Amino acid sequence: MTFNVRYLNLPPFCFEIRTDISKVAANLQHIYGDTLSCTAQIPDYYLTLSAGSGLRKYIRPQARFLADQQEPFKPIEVDNGFALLEWGMNWCIATTEMRFVIVHAAVLAKDGKAVLFPAPPGSGKSTLTAWLAFNGWRLLSDEMALLIPGTNTVIPFVRPICLKNQSIDLARSWFPEARFSSVAKNTHKGDVVHLSPPADSWLQNTVSAEVVAIVFPKYNKAQQLEITALSQAQAFMALAENAFNFSLAGAEGFHTIVKLVEQCQNYEVTYSQVAELAEFLQQDVLPYAHP
Amino acid sequence: MPIRDIIIQLFLGKDPGPLQPQDWASIIRVLRYQQCLARLGWRLRDKGLLATLPDYVLNHLKNAELIAQKQYHQVQYEAKLLNRLLKPLTTNLLFLKGAAYSLTEHANVGLGRTYSDIDLLVDRPSLLRIEQELCLYGFFAEDLDEYDQKYYREWSHEIPPLRHGNRGTLLDVHHNLLPLMTGRAPDIQLFFRHTQQTSAGYFVFSPAAMLLHSAIHLLLSEEIKHGFRDLTDLYLILEQYQSPDFWQELLLLATQSGFASELFLALRYNQKILAFDVPPQVWQQLEPYQPGKFQQRCLDFIFMRKLQPAHPISATSADAIADFLLLLRGHYLKMPLWLLLKHLSRKFSRQMLSAVFGSNIFDKKTDQSSQK
Repeated sequence: MTFNVRYLNLPPFCFEIRTDISKVAANLQHIYGDTLSCTAQIPDYYLTLSAGSGLRKYIRPQARFLADQQEPFKPIEVDNGFALLEWGMNWCIATTEMRFVIVHAAVLAKDGKAVLFPAPPGSGKSTLTAWLAFNGWRLLSDEMALLIPGTNTVIPFVRPICLKNQSIDLARSWFPEARFSSVAKNTHKGDVVHLSPPADSWLQNTVSAEVVAIVFPKYNKAQQLEITALSQAQAFMALAENAFNFSLAGAEGFHTIVKLVEQCQNYEVTYSQVAELAEFLQQDVLPYAHP
Repeated sequence: MPIRDIIIQLFLGKDPGPLQPQDWASIIRVLRYQQCLARLGWRLRDKGLLATLPDYVLNHLKNAELIAQKQYHQVQYEAKLLNRLLKPLTTNLLFLKGAAYSLTEHANVGLGRTYSDIDLLVDRPSLLRIEQELCLYGFFAEDLDEYDQKYYREWSHEIPPLRHGNRGTLLDVHHNLLPLMTGRAPDIQLFFRHTQQTSAGYFVFSPAAMLLHSAIHLLLSEEIKHGFRDLTDLYLILEQYQSPDFWQELLLLATQSGFASELFLALRYNQKILAFDVPPQVWQQLEPYQPGKFQQRCLDFIFMRKLQPAHPISATSADAIADFLLLLRGHYLKMPLWLLLKHLSRKFSRQMLSAVFGSNIFDKKTDQSSQK
């Protein structure tokens, strides 16, 4: 199969994507829809998802990810190619875009006020993200928050939401009409599906927002909603741990994070019902925040 | 104007004429591949040319400059640690190449220069103690197969690369500039006489020895990936440090150590590609080391391609031939024939297997937890 070349305009970046794997091309079309274009643009990154070469193309075929000429990851089963592409895009941004302070966090906004959800894998962050995005919040980012240094401003980087394992069926039952990618099975994160956010998030993908609160979510199905206010020092440490390029961003990154925790409300929230957490944010956090 | 010529004009601070967004996209792509983005950013700023550039370009230059800056600071930290650990164990402890460029104060060649490892030059008898000491402080050799181990220990001029367990810093510890079995390895004491100490207390080569080492490294390579970066390394050293004393020291060291023909070629390509003005007396003194006409044409065929700001997407079949010739030449110059045949047959058989079974069959199985 020949290479299919597409341009993916995902503000603030543009990716050129070449692939000879039909399943990857189909997923791209399904998840990104109109964002995907055939007309040449000015790409920031040149990505290739290829089925490899030689006999390997036919026997247990693999998907290889290349960022221009670089191959940062080992190949993966060909059926999981789309997930590899998504991770590859994250890798490009996290290792290159030093002009932002990048925090491993979801960002959602309501009424122009953004909440940062930094969290390690397994905290239910993506499930929470999906629920909020489909219930009146606007998704700015699922995986990486791009902060302008020295400000509380987050630049949106709207991408599909990465759902893992049990949350896949949950999300499917919540939003049967939404656009889901095919399942990438048995990856290092388990089973993975990417979910395209609602139209409103896509339409506003160039509208930045001010962060007013930082919430560290923790899912525990056996527990009632429990809210703990964090001291600024606690919030700083927890946030710094989740900053991708904290060491690289140096003094500027440090000051950005300090300013952020000083100006935000900072909480750790254990929850079993997403709706309860949303209610807390909408009634007790956002109304008192002044960006 | 072809992209490579535009890049050269920009590097030299000249006006390449109006550029379209598509041109800039190609320029950024090529420079990123050549690891020269931050260097160009610094050159353009130095010449006051940044202000007029589109945001697309400024963003990419800024990203690259931030990474380079971080490395520039990081290497000071590593050097301090290494100096303290190793100084008691070896009479000579020199930082080479990229790290040396960063550690040398006010060296233009160090600005915006990035590198993947820190190269050290030490006394050979101290090697074992040094490796043990580094091990105690978290620097370990990567997993190597037996063949590669043997290659390093018996034939090479360095021990296998060491990686720091936490910071990931890669360390190459050398005891000579070239593998011993090449027959080209110089009397290293000669080079130890051409050093300078930075104000922070680190030892690096004098500018002349730095230039010669950089030239040797480039001109005897069997593979050139970042040819333009390497060529501009030479250019920046020449541009900043040339003086009658510099040329005298350079010519003396080059002839004494047997690398005058490498120096000749290094100067030739700086003149041909970057229009660097080499004083006529220098050419005169290097005349005996000029290759024959036919050999010169072959070398030009290779190096005039490999030292340009090039990118594999625009590679032609002539470039592929140049790569192959470079591989043969590099090995031929550095290995005795019996070893060359043995080495190439192994590398070739691995390439055949890769071609048939895909290029990852030699990767060791590891968990993929590093994927995000």
